[in-house]
Amino acid sequence: MSPKSEYTPVDAASSNPLLFLLFSGLAWLVAAGILAVVAALQAHSPDFLSGCRFVTYGRMVPMAETAFVYGWLANAGLGLALWVLGRLAGEPLRAQNWALYGAGFWNLGVTGAIIGTACGDRTGFELLALPSYVQLLLFASYGAIAVCGLLAWSGRLRDLAFASHWYAAAGLFLFPWLLSIAHVMLFAAPVRGVEQAVVASWYAQAAWSLWLAPLFLALAYYVVPKLTGKVLPSYEFAALGFWTLLFIGGFTGGRHLLGGPVPAWISSMATVCSALVLFHLFIVILNLRGVLGAPGIAAKFIGFGLLAYVLSGLTDALTSFYGIALRTQFTYFEAAQKALALYGAATMVLSGGIYFALPRITGKAWFSGALVRAHLGASVLGVLVVLASLVLASVTQSRELLDPKVPFEDIVAHARGPLAGVVLGEVILLLGNVLFAANAGLTAARILNLSAPAAFSPPAALETPAS
Amino acid sequence: MKSNFLFLVGLAGALGLSWAGIVLGSNAQLGGLAPYYDENDQASYPGWMAGQAARGQLVYRDLGCAACHTQQVRRPDFGSDQARGWGDRQSVARDYIYQPAPQLGSLRVGPDLGFLADHKPLAPDADDILHLLYKGAPGMPSYKFLFEKREIGAGAQPSAVALNLVGRDRPAPGWEVVPTTRAVALAAYLTNLKASYTFPEAVPVPPEKKEGEATPAPKPAAPAAPPAAMAAPVAKGAVPAVPASPLPSPTPQPMITPTPKATQ
Repeated sequence: MSPKSEYTPVDAASSNPLLFLLFSGLAWLVAAGILAVVAALQAHSPDFLSGCRFVTYGRMVPMAETAFVYGWLANAGLGLALWVLGRLAGEPLRAQNWALYGAGFWNLGVTGAIIGTACGDRTGFELLALPSYVQLLLFASYGAIAVCGLLAWSGRLRDLAFASHWYAAAGLFLFPWLLSIAHVMLFAAPVRGVEQAVVASWYAQAAWSLWLAPLFLALAYYVVPKLTGKVLPSYEFAALGFWTLLFIGGFTGGRHLLGGPVPAWISSMATVCSALVLFHLFIVILNLRGVLGAPGIAAKFIGFGLLAYVLSGLTDALTSFYGIALRTQFTYFEAAQKALALYGAATMVLSGGIYFALPRITGKAWFSGALVRAHLGASVLGVLVVLASLVLASVTQSRELLDPKVPFEDIVAHARGPLAGVVLGEVILLLGNVLFAANAGLTAARILNLSAPAAFSPPAALETPAS
Repeated sequence: MKSNFLFLVGLAGALGLSWAGIVLGSNAQLGGLAPYYDENDQASYPGWMAGQAARGQLVYRDLGCAACHTQQVRRPDFGSDQARGWGDRQSVARDYIYQPAPQLGSLRVGPDLGFLADHKPLAPDADDILHLLYKGAPGMPSYKFLFEKREIGAGAQPSAVALNLVGRDRPAPGWEVVPTTRAVALAAYLTNLKASYTFPEAVPVPPEKKEGEATPAPKPAAPAAPPAAMAAPVAKGAVPAVPASPLPSPTPQPMITPTPKATQ
């Protein structure tokens, strides 16, 4: 398929909700970056802003995480999933206002969650720093967005033949049920004692395996064949990879509870299932490996993201083993794994998706190729600096935690150097994301300017070369 | 995949299976966990958290203390938890049944607080904790907003709960620093965190003895565990010396805190 033939007026007709979702996501990406820089500064110098009750370190971390996951990843992931579903339906999205207003209320809910956390309603659950009063709003607004996706899905012209279709549908439809289960079992009628930790770890893992990962994999499965211009190799295995992730992925969350006061079978099961999920990763890389050599800026982002996704799954499987968990548990290594998954994998793939989709939705080429390349450089450098710093910090920390003679003052002091590296990495990422958001804004502003470069003439003008 | 219906059933099954397996499965196992009744003591453990301590746990959660502190002491062969004096036994699910919001935590920038009131060699008391919260420590921020700095009125007596600060932190004459109710609740919660009782499931199964060995010595085939970690419970006699019955008898359990303190 040549790039020109896949230009479609369908995109422009669906542009309102898609642009709203993508630009909300970009705004949250910058906001989350600022919060993450503050949190990294506090981890390095604990007394930074310690006089202000709203931004203790313990609150800053979940605030940054909420802005990142429910602000950036959710908005961008949903926008791109709707774009994929609309394209596969072959007609403009229906019920666009549902998605538009749903996205508006969703962002209101995320804002409420962050303000609530700052003002004293921290929930204490990882990836679920959503006070119970915003959860109903988030549930309803997500449902409204999903109506648009559901209509595109049920009104499609073809059978469920594409992996991008399955992943997009899974990502779109499963999250509300996850959230409602968590709401009932942790907030409305909370379970007792350590059961809360079990439910929370299940939710956090399912939010990754059944929601975020399917959202960005849907995009990767849709965009990669367009970037390479080839049919995906070994495509007949894609269904196996899909169902492996969906059925096995939710069982892997218990690895964080290894050695804790919960039944041991939970972490044993997580060890087995983390290894089984490697099969899914193998199929993803088997299908999508063509992107690693493909031209264009989107291919660079998506290729990096998929490699990070595989690496993240591998380290999850390895650290679920007893002998390795002994050294990585409760250290900064777990923070590094989280950054690898949420930033290295999800963010990079979704950024690549925006580089591919935005010109097609707006009908305008990217405002500045130099800014695009600067963003790529900043993202790759920033992710590597953050990961390297956290791993470096964890190596010393792990050795010293295991030695009962080393006092905590020394462990803290030895981590300060590497934690300064985390601050640096977060600043680089923030700068890159400011460029990204500015470039996207200037690109979209070209819709208003009729003299701006027109759409797809030649088609290559839409693709920013990688160098 | 040509059928909408089958696809949706598959999606629902994928979500439902892991939910049923992990959440319902563990709930079936732990949901009915009852306190342990000791016939000798005529008391059941763990006890209810006092109201102020339960409120303190919500302050602990709200401020995000769990971002840097865990509350789970692990087995002697898994980490140096017990060798560091964080508790004489591992945490078990029964410890948490009366906690409104258990905070297991996932990162150890500071020490574990699961059994803070039993820490060796010295467990902090409420006053130590309030001073720490006010002044901070290396690697730990200060929480001055949990305290009120106020003027002692003319002719009034200083507050009985005012912090006895010295040096640089000492307030100007005529002024005092008193903890707010939140700080007091937090300190009450932290001083309440103790291993009140050694439950049968908290006693590790002793390593198999070889013929001729007198005492259960740590196995040489565990290089990952620091030797001190293995030595601690053996020295305390917490491990039952008779490995004949793997289930510990319910009657004589070594108490970690003396009975009068536990029933106060």
